[in-house]
Amino acid sequence: MDTGNDRTENQPIAEKNEYLWDGSGEPDPEIQRLEGLLGKFRHDRPAPTFPEIFAEVVRDRRWRFFPRRMRLFPVLATTAAVVAIVIATFFMNAKKPLPATVAGWDVSRVTGSPRIGSLTVSGKDGKSRLGVGQMLETDPQSRASLEADDTGQIEVDPSTRLRLLTMGASLKRIALDRGTIHTYIWAPAGQFVVDTPSAMTVDLGCAYTLHVDDSGAGLVRTSLGWVGFKLNGHEAFIPAGAACATRPKVGPGTPYFEDASSEFRAALTRFDFDDSTLQQRATDLAIVVSQSRPGDALTLWHLLARVDDQQRILVCDRLARFVPPPAGVTKEGILHLDQPMLDLWWNQLGFDDISVWRHWERSWSGATPPAQEK
Amino acid sequence: MASRSGDQVDLLAADLTRRPVMKESAPEVSEDAMLVSAARDGDRAAFGRLYDRYARMVHGILLAKVPASEVDDLVQDAFLRALRRLPTLREDGSFGAWLAAITRNLANDYHRRSVPETQLADDTENEISPGNAVREHPATAAVILDAVRTLPDAYKETLILRLVEGMTGPEIAARTGLTHGSVRVNLHRGMQQLRAKLGPDFSGNRPEQEMR
Repeated sequence: MDTGNDRTENQPIAEKNEYLWDGSGEPDPEIQRLEGLLGKFRHDRPAPTFPEIFAEVVRDRRWRFFPRRMRLFPVLATTAAVVAIVIATFFMNAKKPLPATVAGWDVSRVTGSPRIGSLTVSGKDGKSRLGVGQMLETDPQSRASLEADDTGQIEVDPSTRLRLLTMGASLKRIALDRGTIHTYIWAPAGQFVVDTPSAMTVDLGCAYTLHVDDSGAGLVRTSLGWVGFKLNGHEAFIPAGAACATRPKVGPGTPYFEDASSEFRAALTRFDFDDSTLQQRATDLAIVVSQSRPGDALTLWHLLARVDDQQRILVCDRLARFVPPPAGVTKEGILHLDQPMLDLWWNQLGFDDISVWRHWERSWSGATPPAQEK
Repeated sequence: MASRSGDQVDLLAADLTRRPVMKESAPEVSEDAMLVSAARDGDRAAFGRLYDRYARMVHGILLAKVPASEVDDLVQDAFLRALRRLPTLREDGSFGAWLAAITRNLANDYHRRSVPETQLADDTENEISPGNAVREHPATAAVILDAVRTLPDAYKETLILRLVEGMTGPEIAARTGLTHGSVRVNLHRGMQQLRAKLGPDFSGNRPEQEMR
């Protein structure tokens, strides 16, 4: 049961419940009770000493204290050894997967027989390396896990095909041709990009699941942080708990929270992607607007720029009912899609400061279109 | 507009990395960076301070995903894993977000290795069904923790950091690398869903207290 929303639905989320946010304001007895009860699980152990690990770290760092001229010997010796090993390996077994020194992702077999190109990821430890330009494919019985220390981790579901396009210091880019990946990215925001046949996803510091079906249609579900979804100027940004679909040649649809009613979501999908008559689109929009709840401000805000002038009045009024526009935002400005006003209003929704997104949006506008199927 | 080449995009991204999205305060980031650098050079005290600073975050993330009886050992494993990988961390100021990701991966590995997720609540002996749990069970800490753990990942993690570990919203944002906005939304929506799961009995039939 979701109680108490009616009284507060016109308040921006950011203004609500300061006690829950930082313990300030009037104490909330219910939250205090929860804190009291759950406090028994709180962490209370002192820091361990980690002695063995520190010995390893210090041993590794010891090279730094060698005089500069002495460092040359181990460097030269190591270089010579690496060159010799690479040459020998190339001639002895050119079909082996890439060595770990090559820029790429470490690939671990989770189940079945995932393949990199024509080679199966197997062996004693079930590990291999995905290099730039290579393709990883899982069949219906296979799963794989990718990890790069400075980027993140990607879980690859069965029946998935992806390619590594770039593995630069500041841009890691893969193409998901079909299937499903679950990503946990710790690289700085904006450095991890996934191209799909219907949109480009830009990680903004988050965890998300991305699915692409055989037609090239996609769906992203964000579980932490943010994802930007973009194609040919059509964009969406999706906070934690929300989802967004894409279609080839159309691009991203309108983001929505998945706890919205099925009728709301079905109407939104038709509105975004069906080749409907104007009357049908108006009907679908009316359903979306009438079924929307305060939490669907995310959807309504995105719709403002996706509807015609008449429909925009309907959407604008509904959004204003849930989140009153702040000072400096006029209805006339919103109906004319005044970008600064739209941004100011967004900032009232309680998700985040849109300047973060605008920064990335400007940077990525006109970036290369999604990768096409090979 | 003409398409940019991949190289151009790369350059743009390189430039943008100088403006982190995280809203961690500059002194904290700077202190983290110094501690990480010192720990990488073998300074145990520095790593100890990182532990003190981040142990509650690691503990909370794990408590959201694995049985409570396993959490303390896994906290140590998370810091061990981080220490081993410290040389690979390129942005020392991003230690918190990086450690959070390592911790989540550790929890995933735990489930992959051994325990089906359905057994998550094995340490609390209580099962909860939405809406009526508190009427059927006393409102014990274990029942409430189970209820929190049934929430979506983003909500349960943030709520546990707030309600169990006693961190404030700004602290959660600073430690995990999430933005203030994300943490606010997670707390707000998480509490709404938790209230729904615990039912009116827990809040003393006072729905007017919802998110003042």
